[in-house]
Amino acid sequence: MRQSKELQFEKPSFRKRLKGMLGVDFYRLFHTPMFYIFVAIAAIIPAMILTMMSTGDSGTQMYTNTWQIIAAEQPLYAVSNMGEYANMNMVYIFGGIMVSIFIGHDYRSGYVKQLFTTHAKKRDYMMSKTIVCAFTMACMCLSYLAASIIAGFIAGTPFTVNVGSLLIAILSKIILSLGWASLYTFLNVILRRYFGVAIAASFAIGTGLPILAVGMILGNSAGSFLNIFLYGASVYACLSSTFMTLIVCLAVSVAWALTYNILGSLILSKSDVY
Amino acid sequence: MNAIEIRNLSKSFRGMYALDGLNMTVPVGAIYGFIGENGSGKSTTEKLICGHLVPNGGSIKLFGRDYRDAGVRARVGALIENAGCFPNSSVWDNLMMQALNLGLENTNEEIERVLKIVRMEDNARLKFKKCSLGMKQRIGIAMALLGDPALLILDEPINGLDTDGMRIMREILVDITENYGCTVLISSHILGELEKIATHYGIIRQGKMVQEISAREMEGRCRVFISLKTKDMMKTMGILKAAYGNVRVEDGYIRVYDVEQPEEIVELLLGHGIAVREIKKNRIGLEEYYVELMSGKEGR
Repeated sequence: MRQSKELQFEKPSFRKRLKGMLGVDFYRLFHTPMFYIFVAIAAIIPAMILTMMSTGDSGTQMYTNTWQIIAAEQPLYAVSNMGEYANMNMVYIFGGIMVSIFIGHDYRSGYVKQLFTTHAKKRDYMMSKTIVCAFTMACMCLSYLAASIIAGFIAGTPFTVNVGSLLIAILSKIILSLGWASLYTFLNVILRRYFGVAIAASFAIGTGLPILAVGMILGNSAGSFLNIFLYGASVYACLSSTFMTLIVCLAVSVAWALTYNILGSLILSKSDVY
Repeated sequence: MNAIEIRNLSKSFRGMYALDGLNMTVPVGAIYGFIGENGSGKSTTEKLICGHLVPNGGSIKLFGRDYRDAGVRARVGALIENAGCFPNSSVWDNLMMQALNLGLENTNEEIERVLKIVRMEDNARLKFKKCSLGMKQRIGIAMALLGDPALLILDEPINGLDTDGMRIMREILVDITENYGCTVLISSHILGELEKIATHYGIIRQGKMVQEISAREMEGRCRVFISLKTKDMMKTMGILKAAYGNVRVEDGYIRVYDVEQPEEIVELLLGHGIAVREIKKNRIGLEEYYVELMSGKEGR
């Protein structure tokens, strides 16, 4: 038999493992067009909506203030028109599709085999995907914000706002990207064998339809209950936000991120990878 | 210490057992040829070793540690079914991602090193989807070689390749097995190619290990035979059957097993007035050994 090489098996620390997995995901993110396409989509959508809906006669004018495309004036769980619904929360819808494509490609290309051969711990995968997708969604939020401001200038809509509340709302929505990213990662891990279903499910959940339906039944007074969910907290981050809004959004985002990561890691470790 | 030690491993898919109490031992430093027909459980075993599948029962130890140990798994390289690369990314980018995944420090040097081993250094910027099947398999091997693996698992790396691709792949495999000192588990249907490099064999059937044997042991077990042709084959058969126990006709030749000296047979036949037209000494190869074992004809 041949002389085998010296055998030393240094256990990689959690930090090293996560750094490795993050390295792969960020490299892929920046070296493929997907990231740039979704950041561009996040910019185009508010620009289109704002310029279209803030012009025309008063009957069709849904935005009287530029910042309404970022967040609603009040936390509205039961919306009555498109203007109350279409704001930065739409980033989460497109973010869901982005996560599905990102994770779906791992499985469809077979690259996931490389990841799981060298990474015995499945939580590395969940955490890395959550972080990278949360980062992308945060970038999409910023892109959405920048495009909204430019579109506001072009459309000539007013910029009057309580700056503190606005900043809290924006920051809260960015923070909520973490929770949303973990939800989508979990969903796509569960539906890893069904790419189309995973995209459809991500889209359906991202629209917040379940929460909006409950809001329609219970009315806006159900807000404190609905705020424990990601979409509820996303609605709660509005132009009348207070410091409490930030705390709630942070707690909800982190709590769901942990829950989905633990559940996803458990499912991955107890079931076949593909 | 063994590189792979599998005991009583079982795995079922929707109630159908793909592996049923498999035992397997791969010594450190071995080039282990894993042989079995389609659906016998080779790929399932390899996927279980790599942690892609969750077993129903049994144990897998790699270098004396549980196969889920992060330390040991960080030094496993695998090519299972296909290279597992992103089609729209370049060869270089795919290797870079794997290098980052492994946490390698000198990523560029490492990638250049493995590209040289698989003779792909001139195609690094090519998109993976533009590569031929042979190139894709070589990239898969390059991915597996990154990060100094102690165990290399190669699932059918030769299958589907054309003659030239197969030659290049064989040269690469010989290079790896001779110069890089890692334990290699390689499954293939092309037994002639496997025979050239393997030091050990494991033969699997219906999810169970039928036989594990070293190449040296197999050589001892592989029977020698003399194959010959004469003008009167019928008469020759009668004479040889009377003189030797094990005589068969295969592929138009008379085969006389367990006879070392062709001269012995020539003299015998000449004594009966039969001229020998063609005669040669042979040894049963891996392929024939495998066929005989599978059909239950294996004998000494």
